[in-house]
Amino acid sequence: MSAPTPAPVVVNPATPPGLPAEPPPPPRINVFTVTVAAFALAVIASWPAMRGSGRDLDTWANLSRFLGHFFPPDWSVWRETLRALGETFQIAVLATVFATVLSLPLAVIGARTIAPAWLVAPARLVMNFSRTVPSLVWALFGVAIVGANPLAGVLALTLYSLGYLGKFFSDAFESVDAEVARGLSALGANRAQAFQYGLWPHAKPLIASHVLWMLEYNLRAASIIGYVGAGGLGAQLASYYEYYAWDKVATVLLFILALVTVLDLLGEWVRRRITRSLGVRK
Amino acid sequence: MSERRIQSSTTPPVSRGVASAPHLELRGLGLKRGDRWLVRGLNLAVPRGAFVAVVGPSGVGKSSFLSAVAGLLEPTEGEVIVRCHQGCDHRPLELQHCTGIVFQQNLLTPNATVLTNTLAGRLGRRSAWRTLFGFPREDRQAAYRILCDLGLGAQVHRWSCQTSGGEQQRTAIARALLQEPDLYLADEPVSALDAYLTGRVLGLLRQEAREHGRTVLCVLHNAELVERFADLALSFDPGDPANWKVREVRR
Repeated sequence: MSAPTPAPVVVNPATPPGLPAEPPPPPRINVFTVTVAAFALAVIASWPAMRGSGRDLDTWANLSRFLGHFFPPDWSVWRETLRALGETFQIAVLATVFATVLSLPLAVIGARTIAPAWLVAPARLVMNFSRTVPSLVWALFGVAIVGANPLAGVLALTLYSLGYLGKFFSDAFESVDAEVARGLSALGANRAQAFQYGLWPHAKPLIASHVLWMLEYNLRAASIIGYVGAGGLGAQLASYYEYYAWDKVATVLLFILALVTVLDLLGEWVRRRITRSLGVRK
Repeated sequence: MSERRIQSSTTPPVSRGVASAPHLELRGLGLKRGDRWLVRGLNLAVPRGAFVAVVGPSGVGKSSFLSAVAGLLEPTEGEVIVRCHQGCDHRPLELQHCTGIVFQQNLLTPNATVLTNTLAGRLGRRSAWRTLFGFPREDRQAAYRILCDLGLGAQVHRWSCQTSGGEQQRTAIARALLQEPDLYLADEPVSALDAYLTGRVLGLLRQEAREHGRTVLCVLHNAELVERFADLALSFDPGDPANWKVREVRR
């Protein structure tokens, strides 16, 4: 009985003769796997934060007792809450509008696909700085220069949102297809025209959706910054915390929840309309 | 390499009142993609008002060639010279506003109307201030006329993304026509059009060349169309980059 002849060694059976060989598979160690590994290491290194006080506390009893203070909410404060809520809304709206207007030019010079590198770097630095400073610190800054009133809140949230919106907008400008704008330049359009007719229409839906998100964010932020005297719900919340009036705090929180929910639904509806109108692309 | 220049005696009869200097001149043009030569040593003088069909199989470098003529791609060697009406030599980039390009991918703004996309062809003629809030009435009237000519009259106010592939292609052609450029560079402008519209579009381009002395370089795949519309046919050889050929089309 003869031994079966060994099969010929085929180096690359998938490639027909005459065609270039298949490229080798991508390396196992790539940006993705390294990122996952780095994150795993970070989790291990952070674990000590989970230790707590080390004492044997009756956690569940503490939790239920604390939560119990919130119920039932004390609705008697609805009138002042509504007034402060209105002020919070005003702060958020104005801050979002001012930040949008200011961040658009900043975003244009911060977009690598539009502006030269020597402009991009300082623009990005300004935006990063604005984001790095917490909104509460911006609020302290506002109170220090214009006093404890809603204007301080507007100022603080404008400066804070500037960094976020600027970054979102430049990312939007960079992410949309710049081919059309380049094509228009090739037809003789200047930079401003190529931006207006080639890039802006693509970025507009993204920008609208970012502005809505920022408004919602500012609404939540505006209910905190009052803590340091910058107007809105925060001042009221602070005094309730002071006296452990958790049932009143519960009322305020429910009002904020209602407003944020309404805004979220509204934003969702607008975003859906925008994407649907763009979604019919064939 | 032999000089295969089109002599002035072969200038097609279409170019009436043409200055003696050719409109477009390629001198030893060589284009390389990666480490592969697409074309080498291309010498060609195109008279003003000629319709040049660029032919060759897919991937041979026709689009790269048009990009080089448009000045969007720097030639690996040699040069591209475009002459203005005064007879001065220019680099392609200096005459961008008088070069009408129909891109292979159309490059339209999806969420702008067919009309606005067409009007973008006039951006090079108007200042940014003038086009900030729209276009002059005469531009819009000219755009309507061209769009109706191309059978897009019913679509003018629809977004480009809501129109069909063929309609988008005609919008891109309308944009180039509205530019009224000296030089048309059309990359497969009829690939999504039926026979009737193909004849209509190429007829319009031919009319631009014949009646207005506007030179047309047009990538075409269909040999019959080359015979019907072109004055010259420039063909590339996938096997040999130096083996480009120019032939006069006789009718």
